[in-house]
Amino acid sequence: MIGARRRRVERLATRIDAARRAGDDGWLCGACADISGLSGAGIMLMAGDVQRGSLCTSDGVSAAIEELQFSFDEGPCLDAFRDDAPVIEPDLTGSGRSRWPSFAPRAAAAGAAAVFGFPIAVGVVRLGALNLYRSTAGVLSGEQFEDCLALASIAGTTMIELQAQAPEGTLAPGLEAGANLELRVHQAIGMVAAQAEVDVANALAMLRAHALDDGQTLRSVALDVVARELDFRDGRGIRQPRWRHE
Amino acid sequence: MSDVGSRESSLVATFVELTDVLVDDFDVVELLTYLAGRCVEVLGVDAAGMMLASPTGTLQAVASSSEAVRTLELFELQTRQGPCYECFYNATPLANVSLSDALERWPDFAPLALDAGFRSATALPMRVGNTTIGAMNLFRSARADLGVADLIAARAFAHVATIGILQHRAIEAVQVINDQLSAALESRVLIEQAKGMLAERAGVEVEEAFERLRSFARNRNRRLAQVAEGFIGGELALDEILEDGPARSALRHGQVGEGRDGTLVDP
Repeated sequence: MIGARRRRVERLATRIDAARRAGDDGWLCGACADISGLSGAGIMLMAGDVQRGSLCTSDGVSAAIEELQFSFDEGPCLDAFRDDAPVIEPDLTGSGRSRWPSFAPRAAAAGAAAVFGFPIAVGVVRLGALNLYRSTAGVLSGEQFEDCLALASIAGTTMIELQAQAPEGTLAPGLEAGANLELRVHQAIGMVAAQAEVDVANALAMLRAHALDDGQTLRSVALDVVARELDFRDGRGIRQPRWRHE
Repeated sequence: MSDVGSRESSLVATFVELTDVLVDDFDVVELLTYLAGRCVEVLGVDAAGMMLASPTGTLQAVASSSEAVRTLELFELQTRQGPCYECFYNATPLANVSLSDALERWPDFAPLALDAGFRSATALPMRVGNTTIGAMNLFRSARADLGVADLIAARAFAHVATIGILQHRAIEAVQVINDQLSAALESRVLIEQAKGMLAERAGVEVEEAFERLRSFARNRNRRLAQVAEGFIGGELALDEILEDGPARSALRHGQVGEGRDGTLVDP
């Protein structure tokens, strides 16, 4: 069994290496989507128990899945990471809705019918999670499931290999290239913390609550804050009249 | 050892305990001390000592079953002769070497070992594949050789310990890289949050806020992430940062790059 897993990893690693050499920014996620035969893939970075954005996404739907998970703090990657176990959701419009009430309907609207999450770890060191989606509902075949486990394992060693080459204190260029660290959201967190005189954790919670109420993503709320069209001075998001900035 | 049945169960017990040592809070010295003790209890030897190579490749005495062996091993390292030393550098086992026949081979070591009451020495490399990380030293006071079964069991002990130590080292290396990755991500987050906070509190644009933070950090020779963390945490006051005066616009001098999502990045 362990031998079979290792052989699978070795076989897939050759294909991953080929993708790396072809080398566009999201190569790792593109290769995961191709090899698994699913519609798309994304990798979520975690630091401790906190989301740090995505390392790469293979297409627009995967990018939306990542953004929705970041917005609402729920979804397949988070469950996979927090439970340290694969997550299989064959039907986002059915069973998925009760599992992730904020994430599921929006991910379905974005074009995903089934989503899968696999924890990414090297030994006991946990790095994040791989999410894969398919535009049609249904479970994974046994073969696909094994491939996804192997891909998550390869993604982990690839991340460590790349970061090992980076000078201390910096993010490896190979990791940064396709990443979306949601930096605008963090600018907005700083602004809201100052406006509402709360700490950054509370500022993030306020932004998330506003996104949920307003039916938007965290990023679009953040962009309004940074553009000074939305203000949290009164403890909740109040839209600012445009004329103030003209 | 005469009682084969009880020895077998002792061996099994040792391997079970070894796996416990390997999974719980792993400690190399503890593992090797345990193993040295088990060699004496389970195998037909009177004393055992473990040596490990440091990262620079020099051997160090790490664990022993008795103070007498520890002294002997330190002497081995000083004189650069003896079974453990030889076994490690040749990466080959030495079985049942009579110490009285080894007076020429180890002129300083052999007499000392004989004085300590030992008659024969066995040394096994701690090796997996081409990697030798140390050696295990076994001493007997009796003239008779260590049996084949004991030699095989000793090799298995050395092997399990080696795998455990190598795995532990690999995981530690990964942990260090992951800690660096997390710290790099955390720095980026802190800088963006501080930019937003400063922009809001000073009533300036985000780009201007970044310039202020950056020149403050440069003037004081501090890391930008450190300044950002101090400002967010409240240890660094807004006035202190603003006192530095308006920043020279590094943007116009092309010293600052534009990040993927429009955020300013330190080149």
